[in-house]
Amino acid sequence: MKKIAMVGLALLVATTLFAGGGREARTAEGSVGLTLGSWRTDDVQQINRLIAAFNEEHPNIAIRFDPTNPPDYNATLRLQLESGTGPDIFYARSYATGQDLFADGYMLDLSDQAFIASAYDEGARDPWQTPEGTQFAMPLMAVSHGVYYNVDLFNELGITPPATWDELLQTAQKIADAGYTPIANGLADEWDITEVLWMNIAPAFLGGREARLAYEAGTRPFNDPAMESVFAAVASLEPFLPRGYEAISYNDSKALFLLGEAAMWFDGSWTVSEFEASNPDFTWSVFAPPPPAGATPHITFHPDAGIAINPASPNIEAALTFLEWLSEPRASAVLGNELAGFFPMVSNPPALENEKANAFLQLNEGRELDVRFPWPRLMSGDPSAYSLIQQGSIGVITGRMTPREAARALHQGVTSWYTP
Amino acid sequence: MRHTRSALHPYWSWMWYLVPALFFYSLFMAWPMFKSLELSLYTGSGFNLDTFIGFDNYRRLFGQGVVAERFWGAFRNTWIFFAVHMVVQNSLGLLFATILSSSSLRGAQIYRTIIFIPATLAIVVTGFLWRLLLNPQWGSVNIILTALGLDALALPWLGLEATALITISLVSSWQWVGIPTMIFLSALQNISEDLFEAAEIDGAGNWTTFWRIKMPLIWPIMGVVSILTFTANFNAFDVVFAMAGANGPPNFSTDILGTYFYRVGIAGQHPVGIPDMGLGAAVASFIFLVLFVGVLVIRSVFRDKEEL
Repeated sequence: MKKIAMVGLALLVATTLFAGGGREARTAEGSVGLTLGSWRTDDVQQINRLIAAFNEEHPNIAIRFDPTNPPDYNATLRLQLESGTGPDIFYARSYATGQDLFADGYMLDLSDQAFIASAYDEGARDPWQTPEGTQFAMPLMAVSHGVYYNVDLFNELGITPPATWDELLQTAQKIADAGYTPIANGLADEWDITEVLWMNIAPAFLGGREARLAYEAGTRPFNDPAMESVFAAVASLEPFLPRGYEAISYNDSKALFLLGEAAMWFDGSWTVSEFEASNPDFTWSVFAPPPPAGATPHITFHPDAGIAINPASPNIEAALTFLEWLSEPRASAVLGNELAGFFPMVSNPPALENEKANAFLQLNEGRELDVRFPWPRLMSGDPSAYSLIQQGSIGVITGRMTPREAARALHQGVTSWYTP
Repeated sequence: MRHTRSALHPYWSWMWYLVPALFFYSLFMAWPMFKSLELSLYTGSGFNLDTFIGFDNYRRLFGQGVVAERFWGAFRNTWIFFAVHMVVQNSLGLLFATILSSSSLRGAQIYRTIIFIPATLAIVVTGFLWRLLLNPQWGSVNIILTALGLDALALPWLGLEATALITISLVSSWQWVGIPTMIFLSALQNISEDLFEAAEIDGAGNWTTFWRIKMPLIWPIMGVVSILTFTANFNAFDVVFAMAGANGPPNFSTDILGTYFYRVGIAGQHPVGIPDMGLGAAVASFIFLVLFVGVLVIRSVFRDKEEL
């Protein structure tokens, strides 16, 4: 069995490695062919429509979208780039993961491209800049986070979206009393409890961007009362999770919510288009993660995808033409409407047609924004803040740790390798 | 001279027949294994391992903080995984084989087929199937337990640290029990009928026949089964990956050497996802060493009594 798996893996690697080989041959005479690497395997049709819009203005540049299975993307991309078979242009992760590729010479320096500075604000460009200010990728899309809720069920029970954390717990209790599962999230896949629950609610409890910078600068310890309060808030949801939440996976949660058995679900904006496709009659909406009473409400609006150019590409000029086109208003409109739930990061964002995507975007109004807490500085060590937050969140829900212990483990783990 | 050559000829010519096998074995088995041993002494960024660091990878693996904690956890879990297979899968295999070899059993063919069917299915399929069956919300295992009035046993089996690894081991035992059954069955069927007749005449019952005749005669076969189980379990990856994923949830309680190796050496840790190939090669070399020593030990324990 193991051998068969290994042979399969070898074939898979071989096909991925050799897949790039034929790309030059496919394009018509006098035109240029580019490959676009990505982790968005779900978006093939949408990106092909974006490329079709591009080709209306630039018919001589053919672009082939060649996405990789999301969990394998970082490793596959690096392997391709190191072996000289990398795509000409590719999606770039924000912060350290992207920076590492630039540091090793696999991304073109885009600092001199004026169109990037004119289309994107400083804040949008920052996640794809080195500490020295070199632009290694162009911002593309951000994702938002919130709480999905079943509108019909809320109407039936006569409840409205909660405005504070205490109200959330009261609302959840009412839903539980009516015999429904209040919150669909589970622990089996682990990443979701970390990224869409803890990092979704944390900015309001910690105090947003300013607080994050204080933690990163070392002026606030990672186990201060605010940090404990995030873990305590996560723990407070335990009575409202589905029966057997320990073994409920991300897809199980999705199903519980879609089938109307669970009333609320912490998740990111990327699920918008999937929900619309799988059950158009289901009425749902989103509300902002409720802050503790008296705190400023926040939204985790996270820079997700940038786009970078492979310096080894023979067609850098064509790649730059594509990036410049992407930064224009028309491209942003196509992108934002094709990929509902992913938000173009240009400084003048287009009006979105998708109602649900707009609902997500409107949560930003009157609230402060920040990125996912550990992404900018705290991911590259071992143990990373990401895995400590993950273990802490699961620990406090299952009762293996207290919020205080979880915060202390975060502090000890991060400070064992991180210096401000 | 002529005399010598003709005498040597039959002794040495057979070596040429080994050349093709030796060639492919060296190219696809020995050489990669040697390179992997070499790789475990190097480090570098990404997939480009160019810095020789001696035994540093092993030092990290055996004694440095989180790395060592995860590694020894995975090592311990692999032993538990192996123990469950030895106790459940191989005991059941022996029991099934003894029943199937009984001449008074009707429909042995049918039972044999039923027992062997799971072994012919892909792990991805059985793993997914069992995940559905064990789902705490809509899985039939807990529905049946509740219907029987055993609500207290309707647990999220794959979500609890105490039960997840045992559950996965049992699923794997269920899937592969057909293999030891078939091996034991063919061994039992090879035992001469004369011995059983003689035993019967001497007044031996079923129990005595099993312990005094069957057991000693299939003892070397038990060694073979143990070696197969040992190598399969210390190389195991797929069943855990299909049922729990590569991170060994919950809280690394299902993390075995195979998943640990995959995470360190091939996939990298989510969300950064860049593997540490030197450290991965060190894990692979360690697994190789464990298998090598383990097989030697098992062979010496189960050596044919007549060889002694």
